[in-house]
Amino acid sequence: MDREEFVLVRDMVRSLATRFGVTSADEVKPSTRTAAQQALDELGLAELRRTSPPAATAQECALLAQEHGRRPLTTSLLGTVLLAPELLRLLGAQPDTRTTPTIALTRELRFPGQASTDLVAWDCEGADSALRVSAEGTVGRVELGPAAPGTDLVRAVRSVPSDAPVEVVGRLTPPDRLRWQAYALVVVTAELVGAASSFVEQAVEYARVRRQYGRPIGSFQAVQHLLADATVLVEACTSVTRYAAWCLDNEPPERALAAARAAKAEVNSSALEAVYAGMQVFGGIAQTWEHTAHLYLRKVRLGSTLLATTADLLPALAVPEVTR
Amino acid sequence: MTDTPLDFGDPADLDRLRREFRAWLAEHPLPERQSGEPVPVFLRRWHRLLHSGGWVGLDVPERYGGRGLTALHQVAISDELGACRAPGVPRIGYLAHALLEFGSEEQRLRFLPRMLAGDEVWCQGFSEPGAGSDLAGMSTFAERHDDHYTVRGQKLWTSYAQYSGLCLLLARTDRAAPAHKSISAFVLPLDRPGVTVRPLRAANGDDEFCELFLDDVRVEESERVGAEGVGWALAMTTVSYERNALDTGHISKYGLLVERLRRHAAERHGGLPDGLLSRIGRCVVDYEVLVAHARRRTAERLAGQVAGPESSVDKLLMTRTEQRLYDTALEVFPDELAGEGGELFGDYLYSRAASVYGGTSQIQRNIIAKRILHLPSNG
Repeated sequence: MDREEFVLVRDMVRSLATRFGVTSADEVKPSTRTAAQQALDELGLAELRRTSPPAATAQECALLAQEHGRRPLTTSLLGTVLLAPELLRLLGAQPDTRTTPTIALTRELRFPGQASTDLVAWDCEGADSALRVSAEGTVGRVELGPAAPGTDLVRAVRSVPSDAPVEVVGRLTPPDRLRWQAYALVVVTAELVGAASSFVEQAVEYARVRRQYGRPIGSFQAVQHLLADATVLVEACTSVTRYAAWCLDNEPPERALAAARAAKAEVNSSALEAVYAGMQVFGGIAQTWEHTAHLYLRKVRLGSTLLATTADLLPALAVPEVTR
Repeated sequence: MTDTPLDFGDPADLDRLRREFRAWLAEHPLPERQSGEPVPVFLRRWHRLLHSGGWVGLDVPERYGGRGLTALHQVAISDELGACRAPGVPRIGYLAHALLEFGSEEQRLRFLPRMLAGDEVWCQGFSEPGAGSDLAGMSTFAERHDDHYTVRGQKLWTSYAQYSGLCLLLARTDRAAPAHKSISAFVLPLDRPGVTVRPLRAANGDDEFCELFLDDVRVEESERVGAEGVGWALAMTTVSYERNALDTGHISKYGLLVERLRRHAAERHGGLPDGLLSRIGRCVVDYEVLVAHARRRTAERLAGQVAGPESSVDKLLMTRTEQRLYDTALEVFPDELAGEGGELFGDYLYSRAASVYGGTSQIQRNIIAKRILHLPSNG
């Protein structure tokens, strides 16, 4: 996309977020979910990554995911718009607008390994099936079971019946399997960066207006330093994630995957720490059910285990030869 | 911050410059530091060699002895040097910028070509015993006479003053005006009567830092840089160049140590405790973040964004990387702690200064809070 086109698309996602962003956990209802997803579907963004070469670069997709993360949204931008179409594109499958798949992950929300693993359909609002990538790169379509409870209250997850038949869609080449993993890591990471940066900005805004001891709490150095540190963490997350996305567009898949893993490792810890700092600034109000703080915390805390945890990543990154 | 796509790659002309520089390096072997040769003496030889090839001050206009290119060209050279384990580019960028921005045409013509060539070595006389973080609270005073000043006071942490000929000196020129409007900058030749330079031994045993005693030193009016009272603005420009994440030579130095840790981890795979393996992984992540961050700053510059207070973010990220890295390295190579300590132990000690020099981490947080987040000031 050229710059103007991208700004247009980004602004569409931004206004969707303004209209459908959840302002309290109680607003998450089936009817509002459906309405929000319909509005997203009407934007036709699944086309962005359906054709080859794709209409949107990985960096553009990452920026859209980041924008989506800035507010608590029930829409499945990641699963049905950015991730599943990419998988089909890498397979060279004919674009098919009659079905809306999302992606399948293990119950622990990792990339599936063995075919027999217990699966869930992740980010499945509006989805009618899920795509599973096996350890060898075989992509299969599976049916969806009933809704599964999740700690991230805005994200829809459904179980996948263990006895459901698997329709084989194709097989990724080894480099494409690396590309797919890197792309999934980058998109997921970018959404977490959006969440952390937005939440810290909200905390900064709050520190300007909330008064104690007769003056704004943002004038206290202890609060200033807390927010300054959170800002540095958000900047680190932003830089490493954007660079990883750029690598997907410009570097060989091995390099892109290494950059994506580094980004996920940074964001796993730093985005979470930034949200903690923001919650500390909000104080008591951030501990209530009505406030959105816990929606951000839930997303970022669960997000730090999504696809790859710090415990998975750090030992692997310590040794150059390991390219699992 | 730009929230539209950025190009993290080098444009063609930067790529061409890198290739030219690599070709030059292939023909000019890196000088070796001779035994007993002080670091600044060795660095000056290196400076002159680089200058002979036209590789110093790429972003300085040609009429002052530079090449009239951009900061990004300078970054590319710094990057290439780091990648081949050469000593970094001469650290004169921030001084050159102070003169370019605040000096008179006559001063620029007089000082810059010799600074770039390494014919004259400069140091920076900013901090004082009573004015570290509170730089504006300095008490060195330059008393005005008809056509000159008499300077009295003391400076501290003046790196390598004993090897320098000139000092960019800050002194108060008005006792009554508020601190930020009463400081002026001067070029002081260190062989002036009344100047005493005393090296100070640092924690790692090096004598990099110096004290500077100024006893009624005569400084000419023509040696003042900029108008009276602009010293504070000049200092702020200078230190923000000092804190820049674009100093990729530094980053490459970390990269070499990170690779050494990874090689060790690969050789000892399974033999290192899990916790230590994770700590090495964390250093890899810190390093990748810093590389990505510096590239993002470059890309933002190319996209037309001007530099601002975000150099404080950059410095805190550099500090985090450096301190965690050297701490981990000592854990991985415990022999470095034996006896008098190895070279790595010296670097470890020096890494502890990263959160102090060039503005402490607390000062950087104050700058972020006030100038980036625009939080209200106290009281």
